[in-house]
Amino acid sequence: MKNLLLLLFPLTAAAQPTVAPTPEMAGSPRGENAGGYNVLNTFEFGYRFRTLGGNYGKYRSDVNFGNGVRLLGSQLRVNSREGHGRLFDEISLTTQGLGNDPYQSAVLRIERNRLYRYDLHWRLNEYFNPALPVADGLHLLDTRRRFQDHDVTLLPQSGFKLFFGYTRNSQSGPGLSTIQLFDSRGDEFPLFMDVQRRRNELRLGGEADIFGFKLNVLRGWDDFREDTPLRLRGGPEPGANPTDNNVLTSLRRLEPYQGESPYWRLLLVRNSRRFGMNARYVTVSGRRDFVFEELGVGTDRLGSARNRQITVSGSGSRPVASGSLNLSFVPVERLSITNHTSFHHARMDGGGTFRETDNNLSLPAVFNFQFLGIRSIQTLTDAVVALDKRVSFYGGYHWSTRRIRSREGQSFEGTTDFSTYTQENRLHSGLAGLRLRPSGGLTVQIDAELGRADRPFYPISEKNYHAINGRVQWRAGSWQLSAQSRTFYNANSVALWAHSSRSRQHSVDLNYTRSARVWVEAGYSKSHLDTKTGLAFFAASNLIEGRQSVYISNLHAGHLAVHLAPHARTDLYLGYSIVRDTGDGRPARSVLPPVAPESDTNAAGALFRAQTFPVSFQSPQARISLRLHNRLRWNLGYQYYGYREDFRILFDQNYRAHTGFTSLLWSF
Amino acid sequence: MGFFAFFVASGVAASWGQQPAPLPKPLAEAVAGATGEGYVGSAVCRICHPDVWQNFFRNPHYKSLALANEKPERAGCEGCHGPAKQHVQASGGKTTIPAAFSLLEPQQVLDNCLKCHGRDIGRVDIRRSPHSQAGVACNRCHSIHKSPVAKFLLARQQREVCYGCHANIRAQFAMPFKHRVNEGFINCTDCHNPHGTPAPTWRMGLRPRMVAQALGNEESCLKCHSDKRGPFAFEHPAVRVEGCESCHQPHGSANAKLLRRPAVFTLCLECHSGGGNFGRQGDGITLQSPSHDMRSPRYQNCTSCHVRIHGSNSDRLFLR
Repeated sequence: MKNLLLLLFPLTAAAQPTVAPTPEMAGSPRGENAGGYNVLNTFEFGYRFRTLGGNYGKYRSDVNFGNGVRLLGSQLRVNSREGHGRLFDEISLTTQGLGNDPYQSAVLRIERNRLYRYDLHWRLNEYFNPALPVADGLHLLDTRRRFQDHDVTLLPQSGFKLFFGYTRNSQSGPGLSTIQLFDSRGDEFPLFMDVQRRRNELRLGGEADIFGFKLNVLRGWDDFREDTPLRLRGGPEPGANPTDNNVLTSLRRLEPYQGESPYWRLLLVRNSRRFGMNARYVTVSGRRDFVFEELGVGTDRLGSARNRQITVSGSGSRPVASGSLNLSFVPVERLSITNHTSFHHARMDGGGTFRETDNNLSLPAVFNFQFLGIRSIQTLTDAVVALDKRVSFYGGYHWSTRRIRSREGQSFEGTTDFSTYTQENRLHSGLAGLRLRPSGGLTVQIDAELGRADRPFYPISEKNYHAINGRVQWRAGSWQLSAQSRTFYNANSVALWAHSSRSRQHSVDLNYTRSARVWVEAGYSKSHLDTKTGLAFFAASNLIEGRQSVYISNLHAGHLAVHLAPHARTDLYLGYSIVRDTGDGRPARSVLPPVAPESDTNAAGALFRAQTFPVSFQSPQARISLRLHNRLRWNLGYQYYGYREDFRILFDQNYRAHTGFTSLLWSF
Repeated sequence: MGFFAFFVASGVAASWGQQPAPLPKPLAEAVAGATGEGYVGSAVCRICHPDVWQNFFRNPHYKSLALANEKPERAGCEGCHGPAKQHVQASGGKTTIPAAFSLLEPQQVLDNCLKCHGRDIGRVDIRRSPHSQAGVACNRCHSIHKSPVAKFLLARQQREVCYGCHANIRAQFAMPFKHRVNEGFINCTDCHNPHGTPAPTWRMGLRPRMVAQALGNEESCLKCHSDKRGPFAFEHPAVRVEGCESCHQPHGSANAKLLRRPAVFTLCLECHSGGGNFGRQGDGITLQSPSHDMRSPRYQNCTSCHVRIHGSNSDRLFLR
């Protein structure tokens, strides 16, 4: 037990990759007794600081810590000592970053034994995304997301329980998007949008023990609304391509929509020592009605004045049914067999009437519609055989079939034209593994999986694949070593369209724990990925075939953490992490942006240049914590973030940031 | 002090091959009053294990004692460790505990915990989970008596529990673009259920194996990214058939928007090649328009025009 304690404490401290809040506690670790309750609390108030050199947008995308005062973290636990509190038996509150951090959260539980349990999880995230490679720098998102989950359980320890739940998820903030006008060869214009999205979910359910089974029923109502107005940033926009004549003088777009996804979930469970079963059925009936209206005024690429109005109205629906049956048998102590059979059926059906008025000329309305049906069935049988305490085998056979039905078409002036397609895909896969414990501290595990699919849906889908995993864990005294290796190879070749993917991941972690005061942890991970995929595309209206997209990534990641507490009052933590993608090994200076000049007819050259992205991201940090008093600690931390890319897309995204904090950790 | 002397004396006696000293009165009374199965009650355990007992009122398992309506085999210390009569009679020792978890095989640990937790909704698939197959039993992640975190009796902070075995995942969350796990904003269990899940409802239903489903049957990504859920009048089949991982790396990536490729057009072109019998129509996924000159930067940023790439209500090409 002592060894376990020694192990637990430092690893808890290691769980703090960002430099604040401080994982140490202030006050008595046993808490204070007050009335029939025990109270345990720490609050950490402090100031974060930051200086930055380089690309501010990229820093906000990756890190986003700013300056200012915060409640960096807090913990409060109030427990009744006898378990018979009048109003509650437990209050547990944990917060992080409240006040101004980009990552804020609060987790609260209030519970009264037998009577109720209330759980709250509140989170806020402020996020900036420059998205340079996605839309040439024209798409930006400076967003704030808030999540809150409330769950109430009545009679939590009885054979009959009731559940009430509410979830709210909102997104708001400014952003930039684009619109293309006035025809398929028109220009792209930046648009300003004020993102307003909200999701509300209400849950009501119950659980009862009936004839040895547990029946769980949940009814939920999910509602999503978006009301994001889009407009031009200011006056007339010249468009993203300077050689075009397009000008967008004014634009109005309204597309509010609301979607609902009410659902039922039924679950039946029976479990005993030798046999277990559970059956699960979920049905969701998603539906959405919408109206879209857009009015754009400007000049088209030929220099003509354009006044175009588009309206679309329609609906989309997606009824879904899923079910599964899980059976577990333990016929003898050393053998367990499980079978899992499931089905999933989704039918996505939607359409909209498209109306366009161009320079006051109304074009005939067109009704576009699509249907996509997916029905899949899986059956998975697995077994684990323990020969003795040191050797066990496991394996399984998995079979899956999927049918995809598609219908798409349009109605135009009384005539309807549509096409219907059906295709089926089957996958067989087998898994075999071996687990060894040659000695008490050493565990070795090796397994392999082989899969064959007859008709994958995409060129990059899994078709003929195999995976091999190996894992070694060794514990001896103060040392713990774990190493893992994983390879996954997939080949999907159909006629001339070949895709192959090879992924290899190797990692090793070493931990030395001399005592709660001194420990060291270090790790290294290497991830290799190379893919080759057949391509076809157009260059100067010529179809280019027979090319390949070759992507190679070699990702190296390392981390080191040292914890030293020379005496009881002082606590020092030093950490360093680095991630480096060396790409395909080409020197950085030869790596050019994925742009080919108009005169370059070898468009494949542009593709080749786009296929490697050497980048490095490193972050050393240090933190010291001094105990000033039994109930008070002073903390100081520093963390550096350095981002460097050797592949410039539009402009330099490199940055160097110095961040840190100073705080007081206080217990009352 | 008296008990300390007793333990020393009994240990010395045992080492000399002699009969152990007689039990102190409270323990002897407990043995005498044991049930037929050998249950003596948790109050006896606190006599020799005050360190465990002192903080046990914070433990969720304490409810089994506080409620005072559970059977002996489901209450307090003996609810997990089994009847203690023999252990008391032997004056301690791990081997005399019917269920000493440090000595149990993973399967035995699982059986023991599932006696009570086997019918909990989140754990109904645990026997077929890859963790159980690999011998990762409950006490590899949970510390029942010494948990340093407020909820779920985890042995460490949740991400460190997972990183302990999945070091390659730690590296993915150290990437510039990542979900904010290290920052404490989200947890691994926001997307995964380490106790096992039903078959995924996307891809071919076999992989990934430990991803919890949102709204009962969708990818967990949609719990937060609810604007991508739809239903849309015009769905992008890549999202619905193969799932978000077709284009995104969910843990972390060197590429913006967690994309699998640094340049977006390569991502799109690898599927939209028009070849083979792929796609919803079974005759190749739609090739781009001849008007798209891939030498030009404007056509290399597909989502500049195809802005509603996850699905659209008003345009089947996702232009608006």
